[in-house]
Amino acid sequence: MADVKLMIAGRPYDVHCADGEEAQLLQLAAVVDEKARGIQGGTEVRQLLFAALMLADDAQEARGKADKAEPQSDSLRAAVALAESREAAARDELRAAVTREQAALKELEALRSAPAAASAKPAHDRALLQIADRIEALATKVEQIS
Amino acid sequence: MELDLDESSLAIGRIERALSRIEKALANPPKQPPSASAAPAADQSALRAEVAAVIGELDRLIAEADRG
Repeated sequence: MADVKLMIAGRPYDVHCADGEEAQLLQLAAVVDEKARGIQGGTEVRQLLFAALMLADDAQEARGKADKAEPQSDSLRAAVALAESREAAARDELRAAVTREQAALKELEALRSAPAAASAKPAHDRALLQIADRIEALATKVEQIS
Repeated sequence: MELDLDESSLAIGRIERALSRIEKALANPPKQPPSASAAPAADQSALRAEVAAVIGELDRLIAEADRG
């Protein structure tokens, strides 16, 4: 626990606070002191009363501003969320496009390696033509025999 | 208009026509008496062997085509 001596409206006050909070307490006391000194005339109690009222007014005003700012931050959060979801959608789309491209490349590679299979067709054609030759020769022989 | 038949279609057409000729020849009665027209046994045997060989070749081609 730390002991701090405050000076507000010309009167000293001895106050205890947690260790490490001395500077903050001195700063707050300076704010109160400034308000109290701003009020001319009247008793010390009256000065402190007005200082407290003015600080309460400041606090209320600040709260009002924060409340007004809330919708803006809401819309900002919504905009950020929208942008994030759009970015995620764009990433998904890109990933899908990459996947499609990879599939197309694989298909192309398969087609390029296919000529071995495709080359079987001319071989079949040649075999069919040879069979046609042989059956035609057979037909000629059968016609001669008949 | 330009039509293009591939070699396999042409070959199949030729095979169909040759088979039709064989069918027709077998359906027709012999032109001469059997004794004069009968082919020698060796020719008959060679003919049968050729028919069997052609059928075997066709079976092989069909099996290959089925395998793709």
